[in-house]
Amino acid sequence: MDDHCISALADASPVHRHPPPNPAAPLAVELEDIHKSYGPLEVIKGVSLSAREGDVITLIGSSGSGKSTLLRCINLLEIPNSGAIRISGETIGLKTGRLGRTEPADHKQVERLRTRLGMVFQSFNLWSHMTILQNIIEAPVHVLGVPKAEAIDHARMLLDKVGILSKADSYPVQLSGGQQQRAAIARALAMQPKVMLFDEPTSALDPELVGEVLRVIRQLAEEGNTMVLVTHEMAFAREVSSEVVFLHQGRIEEQGHPDKVLTNPDSERVRQFLSRHLSS
Amino acid sequence: MLDLLSFGPNGWGAQLLSGTLMTLLVAVSAFGFGVLIGSFAAAAKLGDRLLLRGLAETYTTVVRGIPELLVIYLLFFGGSGMVMALARVFGYDGYLELNAFTIGVVAVGLISGAYSTEVIRAAVRAVPKGQLEAARACGMPKMLILRRILVPLTLRHALPGLGNVWQLTLKDTALISVTALAEIMRIAHLAAGASRQPFVFYTTAALLYLLLTSASTILFEQAERYANRGTGRR
Repeated sequence: MDDHCISALADASPVHRHPPPNPAAPLAVELEDIHKSYGPLEVIKGVSLSAREGDVITLIGSSGSGKSTLLRCINLLEIPNSGAIRISGETIGLKTGRLGRTEPADHKQVERLRTRLGMVFQSFNLWSHMTILQNIIEAPVHVLGVPKAEAIDHARMLLDKVGILSKADSYPVQLSGGQQQRAAIARALAMQPKVMLFDEPTSALDPELVGEVLRVIRQLAEEGNTMVLVTHEMAFAREVSSEVVFLHQGRIEEQGHPDKVLTNPDSERVRQFLSRHLSS
Repeated sequence: MLDLLSFGPNGWGAQLLSGTLMTLLVAVSAFGFGVLIGSFAAAAKLGDRLLLRGLAETYTTVVRGIPELLVIYLLFFGGSGMVMALARVFGYDGYLELNAFTIGVVAVGLISGAYSTEVIRAAVRAVPKGQLEAARACGMPKMLILRRILVPLTLRHALPGLGNVWQLTLKDTALISVTALAEIMRIAHLAAGASRQPFVFYTTAALLYLLLTSASTILFEQAERYANRGTGRR
């Protein structure tokens, strides 16, 4: 794959549209009445959301709307103050711990469920003391217990898929941002997760590197992966999402099919947001 | 003069060699003990348990705030008493004496550990949070994250400082010659008195310390190079 693919965002007519949600598919992720505060500041004020298998749900909203926090609640990187989280129907146990903080009731359960949730971060977060290949086999080998040779074969297949097989033995610092993010996607895929979580995966990238990452994510969407995505790329969101959720000040302002929410929203706030984002 | 340093019947060569090995043994044990205490104290300082944090804070403030020789005296004269008091609690009434080696390792280790604490604490804080988050997000348990991610990344920032602590620790072992432990300084002192050639033996001692410190500098440089793999730094 070449590294100079300017994204398909350039042309206005996307080739692929996500099929409509399948109401019969089993629920992969459910959030129920999630509240999250930092001290006196309440950033999530009661949000419920669910993703069925095969859904691509995109969270949008201005900065500070709580979309990243909400995403991070799904795999308990942020622990909600109240509310319920269910992964494939299994409720994550929460309890009130020391100093009145909410914490997981069973760390083993959280660790087990996290292996089914692949996470891709804005700042890549590849382990800098390991080569790309070592990054990818680390968790499969040490958490899932996959034999090393098998993990390496799988890792090479994934690196080929995201187009950076030649970088397998390089260290993260030797890669461009776009290549690092594709490596991070491969690392998440190596766990064969049920759901992929993307937290602003292209926000830290130079504009000319955004396309190569979006192309990989689009491919994953087309393959039917369940994904929850926080992004500022509106054209991309419209193209890959089965549902768009607009958050405003910790609440869902509007949600629905991308063609509806992103072109003809009911909410005036969403309209304003879109006019700012589509003109830039 | 060479006769004095030889391994022959009139020479001090054999004693000096065993003294050097003793210095090295005390230094390595004390440094290791110090890094161990330092890791726990650093964890306590970075944690949110107030009691543990207070204990660690007291430890580093006290040990770094009083002369090192005094720490050794306190342990040497107070150590046996403390151990006996502890033994009495468990119903043992006899006389116990800690040997000079144990006291030396514990004393120098406590000093070394107080400095290691600060080095390790700063190094842990320099580890990018995101890389730890990525490990948690993969479902890695705490101990696995510690072993595979946190320690290697911490070492990167800690090694230069720990190299410094190692050199100080090595030199601090000279202080425990006051407990008559036969390390370099003690042997040099004995030989200087017996032969009336203090300059010869203290110069020899200086050269032996230099040999140890320069050899360890090379080892630390190699360790740093390894720990810095993937940073583009040399």
